[in-house]
Amino acid sequence: METWLEGIVALILVFGGAFLLIGSIGLVRLPDIYTRLHGPTKATTLGIASLLLVSAVVSSVLQGTISVHELLITLFLLITAPVSANMIAKTAMHHDLPAWKRTQGQELIEPASRQAAPDDHQEERDTKLP
Amino acid sequence: MLNDLIWIPLLPLLGTLVPLFASRFSRSACAFLTAGLPALALVLVLQLAPQVFEGETVRQSFGWIPQMGLELAFRLDGLALLFTLLILGIGLLVVLYARYYLSEKDSMGKFYAYLILFMFAMLGVVMSDNLIQLWMFWELTSISSFLLISFWGHKTEARKGARMALTITGAGGLALLAGVLLIGNVVGSYSLHDVLASGDLIREHAAYPVILVLVLLGAFTKSAQFPFHFWLPHAMAAPTPVSAYLHSATMVKAGIFLMARMYPVLSGTELWFLIVSMTGLATLLLGAYVALFKHDLKGLLAYSTVSHLGLITLLLGMGTELAAVAALFHIINHATFKASLFMAAGIIDHESGSRDMRQLNGLWKYMPYTATLAMVAAAAMAGVPLLNGFLSKEMFFAETLHQDSLGSLSWMVPVFATLGGVFSVAYSLRFIHDVFFNGEPINLPKTPHEPPRYMRVPVEILVALCLLVGVLPTFVIGDLLYTASAATLQGAVPEYSLAIWHGFNFPLLMSFIALAGGIAVYVNRKELFQFQAQFPENDPKLVFEAIIQMIHKQITRFMELAENGSLQRYSYMMLSLAMVMMAKPLLDLNATAGHRPQIPVDAISITGAVLLAIGALATVIWNRQRMVALVALSVVGLIVSLMFAKFSAPDLALTQLAVEVVTVILLMLALFFLPQTTPKESSPKRVARDLGIAAVIGGVIGTISYAMMTRPLESISTFFLENSKTGGGGTNVVNVILVDFRGFDTLGEITVLGIAALGIFKLIARMRLYMPASDGDGRPWSKDSHPLMLSVVSQSLLPLALLVSAYIFLRGHNMPGGGFIAGLITSVAIIQQYIAHGVDWIKARMKLDYQLMIGSGITIAALTGLGSWFFDRPFLTSWFDHFHLPLVGEFELASAMLFDLGVYLTVVGATMLILANLGKLTTSERPVLKEHD
Repeated sequence: METWLEGIVALILVFGGAFLLIGSIGLVRLPDIYTRLHGPTKATTLGIASLLLVSAVVSSVLQGTISVHELLITLFLLITAPVSANMIAKTAMHHDLPAWKRTQGQELIEPASRQAAPDDHQEERDTKLP
Repeated sequence: MLNDLIWIPLLPLLGTLVPLFASRFSRSACAFLTAGLPALALVLVLQLAPQVFEGETVRQSFGWIPQMGLELAFRLDGLALLFTLLILGIGLLVVLYARYYLSEKDSMGKFYAYLILFMFAMLGVVMSDNLIQLWMFWELTSISSFLLISFWGHKTEARKGARMALTITGAGGLALLAGVLLIGNVVGSYSLHDVLASGDLIREHAAYPVILVLVLLGAFTKSAQFPFHFWLPHAMAAPTPVSAYLHSATMVKAGIFLMARMYPVLSGTELWFLIVSMTGLATLLLGAYVALFKHDLKGLLAYSTVSHLGLITLLLGMGTELAAVAALFHIINHATFKASLFMAAGIIDHESGSRDMRQLNGLWKYMPYTATLAMVAAAAMAGVPLLNGFLSKEMFFAETLHQDSLGSLSWMVPVFATLGGVFSVAYSLRFIHDVFFNGEPINLPKTPHEPPRYMRVPVEILVALCLLVGVLPTFVIGDLLYTASAATLQGAVPEYSLAIWHGFNFPLLMSFIALAGGIAVYVNRKELFQFQAQFPENDPKLVFEAIIQMIHKQITRFMELAENGSLQRYSYMMLSLAMVMMAKPLLDLNATAGHRPQIPVDAISITGAVLLAIGALATVIWNRQRMVALVALSVVGLIVSLMFAKFSAPDLALTQLAVEVVTVILLMLALFFLPQTTPKESSPKRVARDLGIAAVIGGVIGTISYAMMTRPLESISTFFLENSKTGGGGTNVVNVILVDFRGFDTLGEITVLGIAALGIFKLIARMRLYMPASDGDGRPWSKDSHPLMLSVVSQSLLPLALLVSAYIFLRGHNMPGGGFIAGLITSVAIIQQYIAHGVDWIKARMKLDYQLMIGSGITIAALTGLGSWFFDRPFLTSWFDHFHLPLVGEFELASAMLFDLGVYLTVVGATMLILANLGKLTTSERPVLKEHD
């Protein structure tokens, strides 16, 4: 492998590793669930994506064919991570988990106790096809 | 080809399907078509008859499981010929009769199908040349009899009577099986040919008494011998054609047939004489006596049947060759007159609406023709001269006189026989006089009249036979009786004469005493009825019910003890048992560690093991917080799949991963229905016990694993590794094993999977479960059940996921993957849609019939297997070749892929059938937590 390529690969590896580390520290250190979510979903996803990119480049060069598995995994990761984060945040709000006191716009969080009961017929109307 | 013996039972077997299709036509057409195949079978029998009359035994056999001595073997000798003629001949008459007997409401097709099924079973019994096969058909007669007795299933007595008959004859069948197995053990073959030739061997064997008792138990229960006679009267709840066919002419004769069949093998000993003749005598007297007091027409005939069966049994028990001939003669005679009497009783019931002899009086005026027929048949039953019953009864009386096995008490046998004859005459007389004369009918629901013309034809034929045999015995029946006797005795037939007139002798005197005594008893019946009324009615049905209830209660108590629904208890019992069973081999093991060099430990394995332990511990510690426990459990699953991947089992790793996902979803769905908070129910003592067991079992399993893994393992894996590419055309050995080497296993497994899924589907269909309106903390479920982001992204992921699954499927033969894993991935992709959108949304957009999927999956797999037959290869031989296409390049096609497609479809269908339906339960009528402030 060319030296310059090795250099780039190493750089990206360090870059990805740093993001993974920062994401993990964030998961441990941040004060509430809403802020903690940023660690694994944003920083770590980026970190893993970098590692996968490196893997794709290295194996393509070494094997002489383009390796697309890693790109596919990255794609899946990038699609699913935000959705998981969204679901976790929604659940946390539903469970009335307290937000850090410096969180802005707290009044927008609508706790479950104040929600109206689910409307049975709403769903039926939604699902009925024209 | 039709000369083959197997067609005789096979035609009726095919014939069972005919009425089911023919029932859409008119009733006459249905009856006509139904009769077709049995009639053809009768022609075949008649075609073979001359050969049999010449003393030949026609035999034919096919290998079934030759390694176990099982074969499909048929024989037609004199005895079988006699019975096949009875079964087919009377069967055809009954088909004709039933066409008029059944009402519009009854399902004619079903009735005929059961009837012909019985005919097939009965033919199988009498024609079997293999004892195991005989037993199988024997049980089939019990089952078809059960179906026929319970034909009018809306009536309690029909259901109870059917159950009783099945219980008694079924229990007897089990005894017979034990006897047959013992015989096979002694003789070394189940072939009747060999067994019949080894009579001395069996009689001298130490197990002879056991064999005898077991076989006789089978015969006595089937032929309603005392003390098992009580099921027969209760079987009269069946439609009358069934009573005429099964419970007088054929099925109850199966026990007699068995005794006649085994006659050369089992008879001739003191024990045989004692058991068989005493049982027969008791049955003869009891049946004849009780018959006299029955007010129900069919009840009288039923007890009379019991009595006549006793008579035949007594004859067989006497052990003399002449007595056996008489027994066979009486089998024919009884079948003809009793079947016609039952049919006549059915006509009376049908045209007058009652079977009670206290209501039925003076029917002579209304149906003189039927009355004449019934009277002739009843006279034959009573043993009036010039009718067939007289002849065999004469022979019977003559035989009782030559009996000296009871020593100085031998004079009692002819006396009791005459007494039986007296009662027999008395109840026959009652049948004639009470029904057709004796004043006017009382409160009949209908005005009686003659039946339709053709309903009488079967009765006419049978009564004509009674007369013909009675007047010209040698001419009509001589040959048949002679060959049947030869086949029964398996040797020389003694001299006997079928003449009507033997001069003035003792048997004739006994006949006259019976006739005169019978008339005397009947004339004085009022006194006798009063005498009998003093005794409390001892209903065997109640006794039987009480016994059944008692057994049921005991079983229930035991079941409650063993199966109380506590999972802790089940695991406790199972693990304790496992511990006990493992103790011995483990104690015998000298050293735990084997000689195999150990693999060096690395950091990854250590980390994995620690995480595994932590996951397991966390599951236990947080078992009351279900979601936490579930997550901890999935950690265990994940580590296991990583371990598989590390130790070069990528297929297993993939499977484990996919199964893990499906399992977690399934558990979440199931947990939803359980109480939202887990109660603390184990006492400290129990916790201590469970901890102890868990620790010991864990230790033991650990020890075993260690012992196993440190020992070199010799297995067949090298064979698979070497032959996978050459034999199965794939480099992925796991997949080749699944679809090729052990494809038959896989076929069985996916079938089980499909059945299990259908079973679960059936169980949870229409199930109404308690659905909590809130979670454990009283929080209502979220209003937003299908969040927008999740729905949209899931939808866009579906094609990608399906692509992955297709990729995994296609590469399966050569690289990790295959139908099973692909199926699971597809399932997960579809489940994702269900979760994101809800069942109703999916149902409107994805028309997937999961049952059809399972069915087609198994069918494709099975057809792939069958396909190899077209190339003269054994089932499931695989085929593969390499092809070249432009653009695509070189690729391989294998028949195993088609098989794998079957696996794929079944897995998807089964998984989705379970999950989608369980998921549907949560959405139907979800309760709403009432708003409160």
